[in-house]
Amino acid sequence: MRLGEITVKVRVIGQRATRKVRVAQKTRAADLLNQLGLNRETVVVRLNGKIVAEEERLADGDSVEILPVVTGG
Amino acid sequence: MTKCTFCGRRAAYHRRYAGVFLCDRCMIRSVERRFRRSMGEHRLVSPGERVAVAVSGGKDSVACMHLLADYCRRKNCELVAVTVDEGIRGYREESLPIARENAKQLGVEHFVVSFEQAFGATLDQITTLARRKGTGLNPCTYCGVMRRSLLNQAARELDADKLATAHNLDDEVQAIMLNYVRADFSRLYRLGPSYPPREGFVPRVKPLRGIPEKEVALYALLKGIKVHLGVCPYVGGIHAEIREFLNRLEANHPNSKFMILRMFDRMRPHLAEAMPEFEMRRCEVCGEPTSSTLCKSCELLRGLGLGRKQKTLISTKST
Ligand SMILES: [Zn+2]
Ligand SMILES: [Zn+2]
Repeated sequence: MRLGEITVKVRVIGQRATRKVRVAQKTRAADLLNQLGLNRETVVVRLNGKIVAEEERLADGDSVEILPVVTGG
Repeated sequence: MTKCTFCGRRAAYHRRYAGVFLCDRCMIRSVERRFRRSMGEHRLVSPGERVAVAVSGGKDSVACMHLLADYCRRKNCELVAVTVDEGIRGYREESLPIARENAKQLGVEHFVVSFEQAFGATLDQITTLARRKGTGLNPCTYCGVMRRSLLNQAARELDADKLATAHNLDDEVQAIMLNYVRADFSRLYRLGPSYPPREGFVPRVKPLRGIPEKEVALYALLKGIKVHLGVCPYVGGIHAEIREFLNRLEANHPNSKFMILRMFDRMRPHLAEAMPEFEMRRCEVCGEPTSSTLCKSCELLRGLGLGRKQKTLISTKST
């Protein structure tokens, strides 16, 4: 791991695997979504089990669950 | 940690178009307030009326049923729920029990009507048939038309004064854009907080029309309401492209969806002047209202070599 980087566990609901993603320190959930190519208007972010605003900053070892909710069902 | 603009607790949502953060409690309250305001402003339901709500089991319709159940309790209205089982394998059989469970929990009488029972074919079968016959129509076209027709008939058989559907802001703006792209004037005109009353149609109301889809989802999740979050396997085509476009627009320019809706609502009264008058008749086959001899649903069925099977949808027993 490079200096100034943290690792977070990411799971997109509906996809099977949990993956580890390296992001810069003080990355916001919104930045992570960008990095993953997901539109914030279409998902809800659960940070360590809590639904949070996408401006919330991530810390090393955090668990991030992403729920696609805007699917046009 | 981001904090709620109103009470300082941890924020669960950044409502970017309004420039505020909301915690779980303030978010739930805000959605409930908007729902009640929309019900009152547009006089969607009057005290003492009987309301049928269409419930698929998905987040929007289940949330809508919860909000309506509370509203109806206060306003002395009667609420019944209807689920249309289109016959989509791996999708509807998961969401249907969730619709049923929520209705039971709320003490709302629940009825299921199915494509198979009404048309003698599931949507899956209709899709295969349409492909084989090369009709060039996609599953969403069949599903949309036929579901609407069954909901109207079910609501009428249930003696409902209003038929509530869970269309949210995203659905409505998508429909506006889609009708623009298709230059479908009469469909465009018919979009609104409530459907203009026409003979044979149970008036339709859309109480979630002013609430973004993401906020409806958050409401359900934050309230701990059990919902089905699956995606319909037939989602795709131009509907999906328009949705994607609108979400990109909203992400880069918050408030775009509301602006499109507001602009449309301002234009809508003027569209009435340009609407051609036509006489309402009864479909020769099923008796549903239509402007020609066959209703759209029966016309689609005929194109597939199918026809209406069962005349009455609702038997007295609810599930
Ligand atoms: Zn608050
Ligand atoms: Zn017909």
